[in-house]
Amino acid sequence: MPEISGFAFPNDIHVHWSLMIVMYPYITGFVAGSFIVTSLYHVFGRQEFKPIAKLSLAASFCFLLIAGMPLQLHLGHPERGIFVMITPHFTSAMAGFGLLYTTYLVIVALEVWFVWRQDIIEAARRARGLKRSLYKAMALWTYDSSPEAQEVDHKVITVLAGIGLPMACMLHGYVGFIFGAIKANPWWSTPLMPVIFLLSAAVSGIALLSVVYQVVSKLRRAPAEEPTVSALARWLWFFLILTITLELLEIIMLAYEKDESWHIISQLLTTRLEFSFITVQMIIGGMIPLILLGIVVMANKYMAPRLRNGLTVAASLLLLLQVFSMRWNVVIGGQLLSKSLRGLRSTYNPELFGREGVLMAIALFITPFVLMFLFDRLLPIHKAGEGAVPGEAKTGSAHV
Amino acid sequence: MEHSRHVFRIALVLVVAISAFVLLRTLFVPRTYGDYGPYRGGNVVEQAHVREPRHAGSDGCTSCHAKQAADRKTGGHKAVSCEVCHGPSGIHVQAGAVKGKMPVDRSYQLCARCHRKIEGRPEKFPQVVLDQHVPAALETGVCLQCHNPHSPKP
Repeated sequence: MPEISGFAFPNDIHVHWSLMIVMYPYITGFVAGSFIVTSLYHVFGRQEFKPIAKLSLAASFCFLLIAGMPLQLHLGHPERGIFVMITPHFTSAMAGFGLLYTTYLVIVALEVWFVWRQDIIEAARRARGLKRSLYKAMALWTYDSSPEAQEVDHKVITVLAGIGLPMACMLHGYVGFIFGAIKANPWWSTPLMPVIFLLSAAVSGIALLSVVYQVVSKLRRAPAEEPTVSALARWLWFFLILTITLELLEIIMLAYEKDESWHIISQLLTTRLEFSFITVQMIIGGMIPLILLGIVVMANKYMAPRLRNGLTVAASLLLLLQVFSMRWNVVIGGQLLSKSLRGLRSTYNPELFGREGVLMAIALFITPFVLMFLFDRLLPIHKAGEGAVPGEAKTGSAHV
Repeated sequence: MEHSRHVFRIALVLVVAISAFVLLRTLFVPRTYGDYGPYRGGNVVEQAHVREPRHAGSDGCTSCHAKQAADRKTGGHKAVSCEVCHGPSGIHVQAGAVKGKMPVDRSYQLCARCHRKIEGRPEKFPQVVLDQHVPAALETGVCLQCHNPHSPKP
C-alpha cells in the first residue's frame, strides 16, 4: 500500500503508467538515435560513420520492430492494440502512433532493402536450394548490380534517409509530446519535453552504437576504426551537452519562476526522485560521462586507442543508464505527485514477474539484439573479412 | 530508366502492400467505428445493455442479516451501504435462494481505504496513522480485534 505524505487526494495515488511506459520511450529513443547516426553518413556524407552505417540502420530497424511491444504489454485489452495502427486519428496524441510508426517502418524497411540490395543479389547468386529462392524473392527477381544501378540505389537511399530523419525525429518528438501536452501535470507540461526527449534519444542511440560497435569489433577480431570512435564520442558529447543543458534549464526555469507547482516539484526531486534524478540522471549518468567524453574529445590526438575506446564505452554505458533514469523520472515521477500539488505518494516499485515486470523489461531490451543477430544471419551487417585483422584481437586504428 | 527496374519493382510491392492494408483495414475496422467519434459506436449501446446492475442495495440484506442490519443503523457506519465493504450483492440471492457466495474481506486494507490518515480527507473524518494506531503487526483481521465494523465506535 503506497504511503502518502502531505495533502494528496485519496483517489490520486495510483501509478497507472508502469515500467512498460518507461521502456516505451527508452526503446523508441534507440530507434531515433541509431537512425540519426546512419543518416549522418547517408545524408550528410560523414565518411567517419561509414563503418557503422549498416550497423546503425540494422539497430534502428530491429529496435523499431519491437517499439510497440511495451505498449502492447501494458494494455489491459491486448487484442485491441491493433486498432492504434488501423484507426489512427488526431484527437489524441497516442492515436497518432499508428500513422507515425507505420510510415517510419515503411521508410526504414525500404532503406534496409536498398542498402543491402547488392548483398541480397550476391547471396541469391551464391546460395542454393530454398535459400536461393528466398534471396531471389528478396531481390524481387531483379539482379542489376551494375554501377549505374548502384548509383540509382545511392540516390534513393539518400532520399529515403532524408525523409527518414525528420520522420525519426517526429516519431520520438511525439513521444515527448504525449507527456509535454498533459497540461494538468506541471512535471510534464512543458514545450521543452519533445525537444528533451529527442535529444536524449540521440544520446541513447549514439551511446548504444558506441558500445555495440566495440563489442562487434571484439567479436569480429577487427580493430574499431579510430575516426569512427572519435566521431561517435564527439557527437555523443555534443548531444549530451544539449540534453543536460535543456534538462537543467527546465528545472532552473521552474525554480526561478517559483509558480505554484514548484513547491511540490522541488519536494519530488529532493525526496522521491533524489536517487534517480540527482544521483543517477545528473551526477553518475550526466556529469561523469560529460567529463569522460570531454577528455576523449579534447585530448583525442594524445590518446591511445585502448584508452579512447575504454573511456567512450564507459561513458556510453553510463549514458544508457542516464537516459533510462530520465525516462523513469519523467514517467514515474509525474505520477507520484498529487493533482492537489500539495502531496506525494511513496515511490513506485515495479513487480519482478508479470507482463509489466522487471524481467519483462530486461527481455524487451535483449530482444532487439537477438533480432540483430538474426538480421545479421540473413543480411550480413559486415562483409566477411571486412576490416578484420587475422589472428589479432586488439583494438586500434586502421587510419593512423 | 533501364537501371531503375528494381525501383519500380519495390514501388509496385509498396503499392500492393498499401492496397492489401487498405483492404484488410475494411475487414478489421468495426462497422460502427466513427459513428459518434473515433471509437466503435456500437460499444455505447452494448455497454448500456450488457452490463446488468450488480448492486441490490442495503434493503436486500436486511431480511437474512437482520442483526448486522440493526447494528449498522445505530453505529458510525449507518450512512455506509453494505455493498461498500461487502461488494455487489446482486447475484448473491436470487428468487429467495443463495446463488453466489459473498467472501468477507477482513483485511486492514479495506478499513484503511477510508480510514487511513490522508491530509486530503476532511479533518473531522475518523482516520488513523496505521503504524501508530495499531500496536500489533499489520495483518488481516487486526482492525476487527477492537472494532465491530457493523457498528464501529470511535
